[in-house]
Amino acid sequence: MSAFLFQRLLRFVVVCVGVSLVTFSILHASGDPVALIMPEAAEADRARLREALGLTDPLATQFVRFVAHAARGDFGQSFFHREPAFPLVVERMPTTLGLTCLAVALALLIAIPTGIYSAVFRNTIGDHAATVVVFLGQSMPVFWIGIMLMLLFAVQWRLLPVSGWDSWSSMVLPAVTLGSFTTPLFMRIVRSSMLEVINLDYVRTARAKGLTEWLVICRHALRNAALPIVTVIGLQFGLLLGGAVLTESVFAVPGVGRLIIGAIRQLDFPIVQAGVFLLAIIIVLANLLVDILYVYLNPTVRLR
Amino acid sequence: MTRWLFGLSAMMFAALAAPISAGAQGKDTLTVALPSHAPTLDPHMHFERVGVLVNINMFDSLLHRSAKLEFEPSLATSWKALSDTTWEFKLRRGVKFHDGSTMTAEDVKYSFERVLEPGTEKKKSPQYGNIRAIKEVKIVDPDTIHLMTDKPFPLLLERLVYFGIVPKKHIEKVGEEAFGSTATVGTGPWKLVEWKRDQHIRLEAFDQHWRGKPAFKYLVFRAIPEVATAVAELKTGGVDIIRNVNADLLPDLKSHPQTRISTTPILRVHYISLDMRSAPFDKKTARQAANYAIDKQSMIQKMMAGLGKQVATVVQPPAFGFDPSVQPYPYDQKKAKELLAQAGYPNGVDITLHSSAVDWRPHFEALGQMFTEVGLRTTVKMWDPGPAWNKFFQAEGKATNGQYGSWGNYSVFDADAVLHPLYHTEPGGWIGKHYARVEGLDKLIDEGRSSVDQARRKRIYADIQRMIREEAPSVFLWTQNDTLGISKKVAYEARPDEWLWLFAAKPAN
Repeated sequence: MSAFLFQRLLRFVVVCVGVSLVTFSILHASGDPVALIMPEAAEADRARLREALGLTDPLATQFVRFVAHAARGDFGQSFFHREPAFPLVVERMPTTLGLTCLAVALALLIAIPTGIYSAVFRNTIGDHAATVVVFLGQSMPVFWIGIMLMLLFAVQWRLLPVSGWDSWSSMVLPAVTLGSFTTPLFMRIVRSSMLEVINLDYVRTARAKGLTEWLVICRHALRNAALPIVTVIGLQFGLLLGGAVLTESVFAVPGVGRLIIGAIRQLDFPIVQAGVFLLAIIIVLANLLVDILYVYLNPTVRLR
Repeated sequence: MTRWLFGLSAMMFAALAAPISAGAQGKDTLTVALPSHAPTLDPHMHFERVGVLVNINMFDSLLHRSAKLEFEPSLATSWKALSDTTWEFKLRRGVKFHDGSTMTAEDVKYSFERVLEPGTEKKKSPQYGNIRAIKEVKIVDPDTIHLMTDKPFPLLLERLVYFGIVPKKHIEKVGEEAFGSTATVGTGPWKLVEWKRDQHIRLEAFDQHWRGKPAFKYLVFRAIPEVATAVAELKTGGVDIIRNVNADLLPDLKSHPQTRISTTPILRVHYISLDMRSAPFDKKTARQAANYAIDKQSMIQKMMAGLGKQVATVVQPPAFGFDPSVQPYPYDQKKAKELLAQAGYPNGVDITLHSSAVDWRPHFEALGQMFTEVGLRTTVKMWDPGPAWNKFFQAEGKATNGQYGSWGNYSVFDADAVLHPLYHTEPGGWIGKHYARVEGLDKLIDEGRSSVDQARRKRIYADIQRMIREEAPSVFLWTQNDTLGISKKVAYEARPDEWLWLFAAKPAN
């Protein structure tokens, strides 16, 4: 286990350095932030600010300075906010993570029962209907679903708030919107992995010893079908964090995605670097968690 | 597995059953939707319209501007020029900051010096350029200050309309960072309660404000990036005012039972800067041809719902120095073709235009089409504002024959505020250096900005307008309106300077 963890930790460090280097290079290749901070100012004034922000030093110097500071958790002052960048990003992270987790939970809540249903009653009308819904769900863009849900539930029926993130009710539409992005995929995975195990010998044995069908499916079949599902959740988590950006814009949710998008538009280097770094860490951690869950869910992985 | 599934579903139901808080606004709260929040609440440390709109309701400046665009006393009760370079301001007595302290001449001096940072090379404030002409701030007595400029600076009063006076002692106590985020203190009608970044800025009426109490006890600025979302909020009562309503949304908001619109011409002029350094626009007749080619009136009527006005040059009617005797180019395709032939292009010529005005893409494409009809066969290139566009400008706008854009004059109602950035070719200038090459124009602009003799300035600007009408360094297009969507529960009208001065807002009966 410790060798496993050490290997993971090493990979983690490599990912972090790689991510920083790539973001740093792309950002610095993409233009001059000062021109965006003072869009309509005279060049002499811009030069003054550029120097104050340390942007006149050679790139290599800037990168070394950046890495040295980043290692201590200091990503520098945001050019626009004039506050340390890292706390600004951390401050928003719970919102984005909360939205993403809610969406995953919601997606599973819908996908697992329907997936099981489709597997158990495969090739029935119900199964086909579910497949159609899957296709529809996957072909609709997130922001469109979001706006449609908003028009129906908030403007037409006045059941939920239009936007914001200050009450449980305001979280429903964003979570459903983001959840709808992955529900179809989860559903398909549940269905196919259930189909794989449902006719295996041990399931037949379970049935043979007289367990109810409900128990057979939930305790025996689903347990083994869970492995691919967990994998996909891990992989989808990163995608969902990305999808959260759109959802956050549509529903005016104050998350980290909106912060980073704004920062990219303004070339606010410190914020983008801190944000991308933190997201990378979270995705790496999510995948690590999946690996550990593997061991727990499937003893054969442990033995190998 | 089943157990936690059950737990989750219980959570979801709890969420659904929770009361709806947003949308149910109290009568004493006025809520405004902005696309974003400025990075700081410190009025001196950003350069963003969304920040200015919040700041003006929390801070007072020495002068205020009325909805009719006249200077009004604010923290200064009177002012006069003592000489070409010295202005005297009498300060209002007994003005309280939100922390209860009294505003003094020291605070005024401190406010200017924190932006000017005399003696330092590196300036922190992006607003430094606005007031850099001020050389010294002198306290004459507790009620009087003198502002000394390095040379005659006719725009001084304009620049003082948005220049918040901040509390010296308070900032020194809490520090710059806290002042810009959690401990923001001014003398304005509302004081800070809470700022949740990208969510809302909640303000509460300051009961010792010198003008008296505003009609709404609470003022909230919500950050809503999507227009569709802001419109939905307006219709459901989640917000009371939205800005920058596009022409295509007007019918919807006009007919909705709970919303109305308020629109007013603003100081924003649209133009196409022509690259006078290279063919075909190095020829005057080609530039004039471009001006004759555009049917401004039908574009305003058909694409802007009539909310705009064609202009003769880039100097607009409300700006000081505007000369009404200069007439707009009429729409005349035949004339355009003739002039283009005179310029040496009887069979037309291929050109490329660039723009980053993404909200105006249809207009940009229509402009290209109208050019093409007279023989200026146009390729239009649209860029996202931000890094790429910025890079394009840093490369000095190469590979272009012109650029479509608009200029908001920073709400400074003076001809200089548009002429210098668009046409002055000095290296420190804005876009003039990439496009305009009109002989003698730089000198006239310099003369206009360094005199405080308003009659003389007026003459200079009249000359300039005639000169650029003839030389046509740009295609002169139109001014636009600012249109607000407003809840019928609120009485408030759009202002020509695009400000949201919400002290003037009242509940409608």
